[in-house]
Amino acid sequence: MATFRKSPFPASQWLIRDFLAPSLIPRTSRTIRCLSTTSNSAAAVSPTEPSYEPQRRIPSSGEEAATSSAPLKKSLTQAQRDFLTSALRVNQAGELAATLIYKAQTPVVVAAHPHLRPLMKHMYDQEVSHFSTFNALVAKHRVRPTAMYPVWTVMATALGWGTALMGREAAMACTEAVETEIGSHYNEQVRYLLEMVENMEREGQDIGDELKTLVETIRRTRDEELEHLDHAVENDAKDAVPHTALVEFIRAGCRGAIWVSERV
Amino acid sequence: MQPLRRRLISSSRLYHSYDHPAPPAATFNQVETAILDASLPHIPTYGFTQTTLLRGARDAGYLDASTNIFPRGPFTLIHYHLVIQRLSLAKQSHILQRSNSNEQPLSIASKVKALTWARLMGNKDIVHRWQEALALMAQPTNVTTSVVELSSLADEIWFLSGDTSVDSSWYTKRASLSTIYASTEVFMTTDKSHGFEETRNFMDRRFSDAQNLGVALGSLNQWVGFTAHAGLNILRSKGIRL
Ligand SMILES: [Fe+2]
Ligand SMILES: [Fe+2]
Repeated sequence: MATFRKSPFPASQWLIRDFLAPSLIPRTSRTIRCLSTTSNSAAAVSPTEPSYEPQRRIPSSGEEAATSSAPLKKSLTQAQRDFLTSALRVNQAGELAATLIYKAQTPVVVAAHPHLRPLMKHMYDQEVSHFSTFNALVAKHRVRPTAMYPVWTVMATALGWGTALMGREAAMACTEAVETEIGSHYNEQVRYLLEMVENMEREGQDIGDELKTLVETIRRTRDEELEHLDHAVENDAKDAVPHTALVEFIRAGCRGAIWVSERV
Repeated sequence: MQPLRRRLISSSRLYHSYDHPAPPAATFNQVETAILDASLPHIPTYGFTQTTLLRGARDAGYLDASTNIFPRGPFTLIHYHLVIQRLSLAKQSHILQRSNSNEQPLSIASKVKALTWARLMGNKDIVHRWQEALALMAQPTNVTTSVVELSSLADEIWFLSGDTSVDSSWYTKRASLSTIYASTEVFMTTDKSHGFEETRNFMDRRFSDAQNLGVALGSLNQWVGFTAHAGLNILRSKGIRL
């Protein structure tokens, strides 16, 4: 990862190359949580959905009814809305799980290795911020949360607690596995969204802040996940016995959970 | 079962964009909208029937044969009524923006109640025709659309009221509101009281039942959490490394 960060590419090319390497562009806004508010921002947003008044004057023609409420920007396609729906749903589920994994691991790991307390707290705090970011986005964009919510709650807690009991190395291997899967998943989302934005720009469409902020949010989250991955490797995740089997097992579990959460 | 489930899951609750909003009521095209709109004033007299559609088509300046564009016939009229009534809730600014006498904004719960009542009152003028509508809605070919509409209504009310919970309670909230709404709506069709007073009481009782149920479920969750936590602490106090 470290080699990618000292990238020779000029900043103007980030749009195309972004998905190739997680952190080509040094970002300065790492500490800014512009979206991670827990306030009920959705409540403040008055609905913009055009509506028919039951008692309104009967339009003389179909065209009149249609032209009176033309949107300022082109609507998203069905495929784009499908993508955004399952992306937000799966991200919220993933961050729920991440929060619970760290929460379950922390007391056990810290009891045996007090020097890891600040690191565990740092990673947990970031997960909490990711989780509230995606909670707010799911509510704002009216996406149905995953129906598997209670199941993921139990499984993530069990996973965090179980790996922590297996020792520090296993706990870190768990982080390694989870963050690898989540990181590459976020990468795919960023790639899709940038492609979508590029196509819209080519058609001369106005992108709008909503999508721009969304790409920025997912990209920032992804960078933080990959940071967690680095921390895990620095803390001897590879020394877990049996490392490969454990990591592969958890990664397979993550992929299954992602697959399910995207759909239900 | 598969196509039904897919439709239930995929057609509702898609990503709602503010910058790139979905086209208005994509369910109905321009001609359909014109005819259906013109049909609405005829419902109190002719009900949810082919006659109403025919009158609407004539009023909108279309030939009688144009009602052939509605393969589901009168059910389309019901569907249209459901959609416009649901979408008009967003314009209930006296509920959504009003402060009550103490200049306090309405709580989420009071908004949910007020919007549910506002939606029921949307059936006021056609309530004597609503039983025949319910019978049509329950037919096998229409039941999917009816159920999707009911859950969209519950979603709309919770969203407009400012509820932002996105955990498992998202489901229980929508399910209980759908149940309350559907049962009150049926009750309303037999209510002869002045200003639907009895319907109002019936709805209030359903809401307080649901609240009690919610409190019970909430304390059950708390109890499970507390017990698990206490159990863990006891094991720790016994010197077990957990
Ligand atoms: Fe995260
Ligand atoms: Fe993470």
